[in-house]
Amino acid sequence: MKERDYMLRGFVLTLAVVVGVALFALIPPFELFGMHFAKVSLLEDIVGEEQVVEYSADIERLEHELATLEPCIEEVEAEQVEPLPSIRKEWIYEREGEAVRRVPRSEEVMPDMSLPIVAIEDFDTLEVSRFDRFVDKLASGEAARIAFLGDSFVEGDILTSDLRSELQQIFGGRGVGFVACDIPFATVRRTIRRTSSGWSAYSVMKPKSAPEELRDKFFVSGYLARGGAGARTQWSVTDAFETLDSVGRARIILLSEADSRVELSLSDTLRYEVELEADSRLREIYVEAPITDLAIKVVEGDVLCYGVSLEGDSGVMIDNFSVRSNNGHAIFGTGAHINRQIDELLGYDLVVLQYGLNIMQAERRNYSKYRDQLRDMIAYAERCFPNAAIMVMGVSDRWVRDTQGEGYKPIGTVDALSQYQRAAADSCGAAFWNTAEAMAALGGMPKFVANGWAAKDYTHINFRGGRALAEALAAAIRKPVYDLLAEREEMVRVEEERKAREAWAREQARIASIEAQMAAVAAIVDSLDMGEWSVVEQNGVEE
Amino acid sequence: MEQLWEYIKGMFVAPLSVEESMSQLLYLLSYDPQSPMTLAGGLFLLMFLVFGVGYLAVRGVAWLRTFYVTAFSLYFYYKLSGLYLLLLIAVALSDYTIGWCVAHHRRKGCSGSGWVALSVIINVSILTYFKAGNMVVGWLQSIYDSGVLEFEALVIPAGVSFFVFQSIAYVVDISRGKIEPLRRFTDYLFLLSFFPKMFLGPLVKASEFIPQIKASRLSVSRDDLGRAVTLIVGGLFKYAIIAKSLGVLFVVPAFAGQLGDGGGVAIMAILGFTLQIYCDFSGYSDLAVGVALLLGFRLPDNFNAPYKSATITEFWRRWHISLSTWLRDYLYISLGGNRRGAVRTYLNLIITMLLGGLWHGVGLTFLAWGALHGVALALHKLWMRIVPWAKATGEEMNLLLRLPSTILTFVVVAFGWLLFTAKDMAMVERVLSSIAYNTSFSDFIGLVESSMPALVIMALGYVMHFMPRRVDMAVQGAVTRVGFIGQWILVVAMIWGVMQCGAMLATIAAEGASLPMYAAF
Repeated sequence: MKERDYMLRGFVLTLAVVVGVALFALIPPFELFGMHFAKVSLLEDIVGEEQVVEYSADIERLEHELATLEPCIEEVEAEQVEPLPSIRKEWIYEREGEAVRRVPRSEEVMPDMSLPIVAIEDFDTLEVSRFDRFVDKLASGEAARIAFLGDSFVEGDILTSDLRSELQQIFGGRGVGFVACDIPFATVRRTIRRTSSGWSAYSVMKPKSAPEELRDKFFVSGYLARGGAGARTQWSVTDAFETLDSVGRARIILLSEADSRVELSLSDTLRYEVELEADSRLREIYVEAPITDLAIKVVEGDVLCYGVSLEGDSGVMIDNFSVRSNNGHAIFGTGAHINRQIDELLGYDLVVLQYGLNIMQAERRNYSKYRDQLRDMIAYAERCFPNAAIMVMGVSDRWVRDTQGEGYKPIGTVDALSQYQRAAADSCGAAFWNTAEAMAALGGMPKFVANGWAAKDYTHINFRGGRALAEALAAAIRKPVYDLLAEREEMVRVEEERKAREAWAREQARIASIEAQMAAVAAIVDSLDMGEWSVVEQNGVEE
Repeated sequence: MEQLWEYIKGMFVAPLSVEESMSQLLYLLSYDPQSPMTLAGGLFLLMFLVFGVGYLAVRGVAWLRTFYVTAFSLYFYYKLSGLYLLLLIAVALSDYTIGWCVAHHRRKGCSGSGWVALSVIINVSILTYFKAGNMVVGWLQSIYDSGVLEFEALVIPAGVSFFVFQSIAYVVDISRGKIEPLRRFTDYLFLLSFFPKMFLGPLVKASEFIPQIKASRLSVSRDDLGRAVTLIVGGLFKYAIIAKSLGVLFVVPAFAGQLGDGGGVAIMAILGFTLQIYCDFSGYSDLAVGVALLLGFRLPDNFNAPYKSATITEFWRRWHISLSTWLRDYLYISLGGNRRGAVRTYLNLIITMLLGGLWHGVGLTFLAWGALHGVALALHKLWMRIVPWAKATGEEMNLLLRLPSTILTFVVVAFGWLLFTAKDMAMVERVLSSIAYNTSFSDFIGLVESSMPALVIMALGYVMHFMPRRVDMAVQGAVTRVGFIGQWILVVAMIWGVMQCGAMLATIAAEGASLPMYAAF
């Protein structure tokens, strides 16, 4: 008897297993016996893994690219910059009212002086440095925008959410800032809820997965989403922080190289359709309304959506651009012309570069190669955001397992890397903030872990640690603003005093002159012979 | 519910253009050093399915089948190790040619030992380059620590030891007249690169594998399928659940002193590592054997419940069987084996194990590990000579003798694993002194409080390991009998467990190792 062959069955079983495993994606996360079961998906397991791409800087190409760039915004007058009408579409549902410029008072801005403040070092050699201009904007109550470029350290709005909240409460401003349209893997941000479907999303860290023609179109946000008819994203504000719920303005940044139509909706009830004529320039759809839920849906055509900026009428905006496992070099993979155009639309005043955790190694003290890369990054950022100050954030404190079996010990190379980062900032005229020093002032990584501010890996801080560090960074920003305000208030006070003194002197002079006049009159009277007059008068009085 | 529906829609009606899908696919199919393909990964599952369609079509024609599987194996190797693929092909080409030269000399009556020496020199040089290269790089890095020069560590080609060993064995077998050289180059390339065993073995013997290459028809019986499913499910459980979670949850933090510095913790850490390394390595081997069996190929067993051994000799017949067989056949016997008197035999055993230790890594700890096993084997051989009632394996012993023997062997082997995993001798000393002077019952109580899940996993692993063989056979029989649906549920449930375990561990350890531990050797 010939035995039956089961090889076919083996492969049919494999097919069935693949189908079965694919269905895992339908099982939502759940809790059982105190254990958390995550949603797992075969596809994400395969596609969603991080790949680190090494970009290198090509400043020459960048210069060329920027030189040939058409201006996105036509400058009408020096002060009044109005976008070209075809670039900006507006949907004014409800005016928020004129932007109120409110100059903060120095006592509001004053950081807690009893705590040690790690100051921001500014290496700019311009007479009025770009960082000073940023400080000046805050002190003058003007709108100021910060781009926070970082790695997984600030993923999910760690640190930036608290920094934003604190600065907005002092200097005004609302909203979470820039949020991507769709990104190729699942993330959670408690500062915004985003549901999207129908897009093909790409990451600058995996450029090979993006079609050829999109690879030079990345923004420093690191992600872009392309969608045809049906692609939809809804952003819903959260109330995780005071200044986040209900914002008055939204600016959607997108690119439509063919004619297309998109539909915006507010809270799923109000709808507004926008025609987008084919244009090779980026464009902005400006929405003014009380926003809690804003959605964009592609009705027709092909749209490349970068994201939306949810903001208030003035004050501080902080955009969190965290890209996992990015050492900073991914900026070279972003399109300089895209960055420049978005800069023209949104206007950045400070660009923070927070990297280095993935570079640092125990036992390695020479980071000269990385310093040179960082210099290129700063140069690249300077050219993309010509009006912004660049600030390098030093690497954070990190401890590693002690192989001698005594728990954890400092990695020992934090200072070395920080100094190389500082040197890069120094030689490029950028600013530098020593994160590790600030953490040390808070007790260092062991204190962070003990406080429950950092993960047990002694490397990644969590939200609570982010809050502590955000307070330290906010203090470092508040300090120069406070100094400036105090100086100004002092000047105003001195001026007022001077004015008061002058007024008093004038008054005195006036009084003196009146007295002098009166004396003169008396003298004249005296000089006339008026004796009788005075007798008569005396008599008259007596009567 | 609505979100769920949105999600499903998003999954199936993703509006990707053809071009976009192609570029995504191309990206997925090219080598990425960050995520090498292993038998336990999701990508392999999909590729195996695609591979299967073609395999079913060509399996009846031996040369076509060999060609097809070789092509897939080479691709698999490319996904695993990138352009080191060329090294694999070069080794195959060199030993294929040398094999013919040796055979030619043998036909003329010469030994062809010069050619064999050439093959050994080429292969050993490759191995030494990659093994010792990193040590040199390490020295250079320490010298130029903060200087101008920077050195990058060599990336070791995946499975280089395994294909180099098999290639040496092939040439030696020809020179010993055990096999005839293979006619087709693709057949030899197939022998070296066959994808299930490519990465971590088992090492196959040419004499056992060549008939399967040439077989006109390969078939899978009902029992084979049941065995394959058992091996795959069990292998996944051992490799991706027990070993991975034990390492992250317990062994690494325990050795790092995070769970306390008492001797009890050290003892449990050694026990944990002993189980971890077995589950990691044997689990992956089982996967390899199971996957090969689905294709109708029978690979030798690599492990046979090694900690049940009652003597150290028996241990090496149950642990990494294919390597110890290789060491015996091509190193120990080449040194003269046991034919040159008792003293030489002991010396050969010790040399063999020392070299085996050094192969794992150049360092004092690996040398000590090799010495421990070499000396233990020699002592056992001596014991067998002078004690008339001594037995080679546990099965020949009665229970009264077997139990203490098994415990003694286990202690020696576990001590060996401490040497194996220690970073340096100072760590060995520290662990041993804490066990000797600082062990208290409260250590264990502390562990029960701090690491209950890990202890449960550990207990489960050891209980599974010490089950009598007939229980294993009964399980395999049951898996065979549950039929298609039952097997489907088993595999799918295990994969779900593996993915859940991976997700949970990812929240604990920032960077989880995605490769088997033995991939480093």
